[in-house]
Amino acid sequence: MHASLYRGLVAPSNLRTTPTTRTARTSSSDRRTWDPVARAARISILSTEVTSDDAAGYRPPRGHYDEVFGPGGIPRGHAVGLASEIARLGPELLAAAGHRRDAIFVQQGITFDATGEDGPVKDRPFPLDLVPRILPAAEWDHIERGLQQRIRALNRFIDDVYHERDIVRAGIVPWRLIVSRSHFARAAHGVRPPGGVYCHVAGCDLVRDGDGTWKVLEDNVRTPSGISYVLENRVAMTRLVPQLFQHHRVRPVDHYPQLLLAGLRSVAPSAEDEATVVVWTPGPMNSAYFEHAFLARQMGVELVEASDLVVRDDVLYMRTTAGLRRVHAVYRRLDDDFVDPLEFRPDSLLGVPGLVRAYRAGTVAIANALGTGVADDKAIYHYVPEMIRFYLGEEPILSNVETYIMSDEAQREAALARRTELVFKPTGESGGKGVFIGPSTPRDELDGLADVIRAQPDKWIAQEVVSLSTVPTALPDGTLAPRHVDLRPFAVFGEQIRIVPGGLTRVALKEGSMIVNSSQGGGSKDTWVLEEDDGRRPATGDQHLHEVIPAGMPGLRYGAEGWQSQQQQQQQSLASPATAGSAPRADTRCETSPQGEASQC
Amino acid sequence: MSRIAQELFWLGRNIARAEHTARMLDGVFQASLQGRPDDPAGVRLGWGSILAIMGAQADGRPVRRDEVLTRLTLARDEPASVISCVSRAREGARTMRDVISAEMWEAVNTTHLALSAGDLEGRMQMGPYSVFQYVKERSSLFWGLTSRTMLRDEARSFLVAGGRIESADMVLRMLRVAMPIPNDEATGVRDGQALALLQAVGGFQAFRRAVPAPANAGPVARFLLYERAYPDSVAASVDAVHGALLDADAAPRSSEPVLRLSRLAADLEFRGRAAAEDGNLAEASSLVQSELALVDADIAERYFAGAGAALGTVVA
Repeated sequence: MHASLYRGLVAPSNLRTTPTTRTARTSSSDRRTWDPVARAARISILSTEVTSDDAAGYRPPRGHYDEVFGPGGIPRGHAVGLASEIARLGPELLAAAGHRRDAIFVQQGITFDATGEDGPVKDRPFPLDLVPRILPAAEWDHIERGLQQRIRALNRFIDDVYHERDIVRAGIVPWRLIVSRSHFARAAHGVRPPGGVYCHVAGCDLVRDGDGTWKVLEDNVRTPSGISYVLENRVAMTRLVPQLFQHHRVRPVDHYPQLLLAGLRSVAPSAEDEATVVVWTPGPMNSAYFEHAFLARQMGVELVEASDLVVRDDVLYMRTTAGLRRVHAVYRRLDDDFVDPLEFRPDSLLGVPGLVRAYRAGTVAIANALGTGVADDKAIYHYVPEMIRFYLGEEPILSNVETYIMSDEAQREAALARRTELVFKPTGESGGKGVFIGPSTPRDELDGLADVIRAQPDKWIAQEVVSLSTVPTALPDGTLAPRHVDLRPFAVFGEQIRIVPGGLTRVALKEGSMIVNSSQGGGSKDTWVLEEDDGRRPATGDQHLHEVIPAGMPGLRYGAEGWQSQQQQQQQSLASPATAGSAPRADTRCETSPQGEASQC
Repeated sequence: MSRIAQELFWLGRNIARAEHTARMLDGVFQASLQGRPDDPAGVRLGWGSILAIMGAQADGRPVRRDEVLTRLTLARDEPASVISCVSRAREGARTMRDVISAEMWEAVNTTHLALSAGDLEGRMQMGPYSVFQYVKERSSLFWGLTSRTMLRDEARSFLVAGGRIESADMVLRMLRVAMPIPNDEATGVRDGQALALLQAVGGFQAFRRAVPAPANAGPVARFLLYERAYPDSVAASVDAVHGALLDADAAPRSSEPVLRLSRLAADLEFRGRAAAEDGNLAEASSLVQSELALVDADIAERYFAGAGAALGTVVA
């Protein structure tokens, strides 16, 4: 069933979609063949000539924005180089690279457990699609400013909620709505974390609407995951398909661990020397354990579990072979509910008793801060544009997806009347749980849902359906088909808000599907943010770059004969100094440098 | 025997050089595909610099990446190429099948055969990573088998000494190109290069665990020069060569290479402690490198002099 579903996307009459008859087609009347030499020549002469037709009969769906091919199947300006390089690669080589990818991912343990049609599948290679998503610099600049603005406002909101409540008194967000949130933490009341930062790590989900505008779908400020895949994907891409980078200068992502560590250190309280930072994981059974270990490894800090931590006299320590060692900052990857059984859930075995006391005493920074989840809530999300206006006095750069609050009677009844057109989401959930998509849900279920919503309106929101943008995605046979994507950029808030260029693009690997979750058949893409010139200048490798040739670099020696000859030469030179310099040898010890300067020896 | 000692010394050097060349090319290639945070032009290490590191000349033409990669990996007529190193190592190992273990010989021979067979050029074009990865793995296998299957005697000492002196030399060569120059305005460039270098030599995680500072040029260079706890640092390699020669030398107290290595090790220790933020690392590594060249000369003179006489090499 899968195979037919994939192939159905590509017009069957188009011979170019089948990768098996490459040589035969070279001599056929069809001049647009996959023959790499012919294609390379043609593309290099006039690169804008490439169209979606060259990419194996690629047909973006109507009403959706395709991020590589614009109207008429012509590649968008910044993506011309990529499109031509993919066309030059052709389906066969793309499919071969896919096989190598799977082998490498299994070898490196970048796998996940999924539920397939035959039941649970263990250790499936993480599905990285080899066609990257590509964003021009100007577009990224817009996103980056929008996210920084949003995160600043959210941080102010969290601070306000646990202190002055100005926004409530101004009548913008109802207090009833805030206190009823499951992530509202009484323990955080009146505590101001070091540096005034609550959401040290944020990952806001963005989508692109049918007309190409970016919208925020949700804010993740508790424990957003996925950054490890961003980094691993980039490494994998440079190894598997280095050709694709040929025409573009892509901004790097591998400094994220450095940003995170610097961010955590900058908020760590009372560290005399270097602050001790740890990553706190619930344990190897957690689905994001790979990421926890990855981040600890990349930052060079300890990965701890609750049993490694202890609080004495309101100070957090970890148990080491040399006794207790003070911990100044914790990057925790578990929810508030579990961090301290004395304050939150008393049955939590994952928590450290007394941690909240230590936090309140200001001896340890916790990232993200306790109580931050209140800003992560879908009902609160609705108010973020208002928060931006209220706290920052600015207009929001990125807008929300149209959202209706069910506790507002007028909005609720209007939304319920359009119940077959909207998406209904429970506010406290994440990961797509409990979501009803109007257009694809049976009418009687929606009627039942309406009763549920009227009974507990605070717990629901409704949103307009977003027609997610598409990006060409390689099918197992190497041909391309449009698939829907979203984007999760990652921000680190330390002394300032830094956002890693790009982020995790999740892609729905099934035709027409908008479900991008990897446990439900979704994959990911490497996300490229281009440098300012947007690929109109050739990128790497061949240009004449900054040459560093230090003076006095000795030549390489290749074995015994070098010394032997030099000794002989020295002996000769001792015997007759006049002839010594006349026959310089490449293998002598004191060779002149390639720049011609005399060596120091 | 002098000749055997010399052959083993060069076997070690060739294996280590093949691995480091592969690592360096891999690191620079990967890094060249991306920009750097503070330097839009990315790792601006010209490929001409890479040729210079390997003592190969660019003969005045503009240097193209793919040419450098192919030349330093697969070109048989380029003595600095990976394939030439492996081929010389294999020839060396072949003449010493009685000295090294059978498994070590097999490891070298298989590597040589695999690099000679198959469509390596095609693999290089699709993505050089797989070729470099193979060389790295085979090199590690060789050293692993050395520690598992070879008698810990004089022969092994010379093999190890060769491998470690080459290792130190290669790290110094790379450092000198990616090194911070005082008052250089291109700090961002050099920071990017330092990170790439660290990842190339495989020391990224070790650095993270050992050094609290960010992976910028200064801390990285200090780490790769002075950090004895990191096995591929220059200081650790000098210690290893020193240790190997102490074991092998009949009269180490009067041995010029051993004494020189003692002084160098002490000097590195001293410099490592004194190395403040503004220490001139470029100058230090240049000095260490020329000192190592003298050690190299001393080794040849003290241990291998007889070999040359036996071979009867004559310079025209």
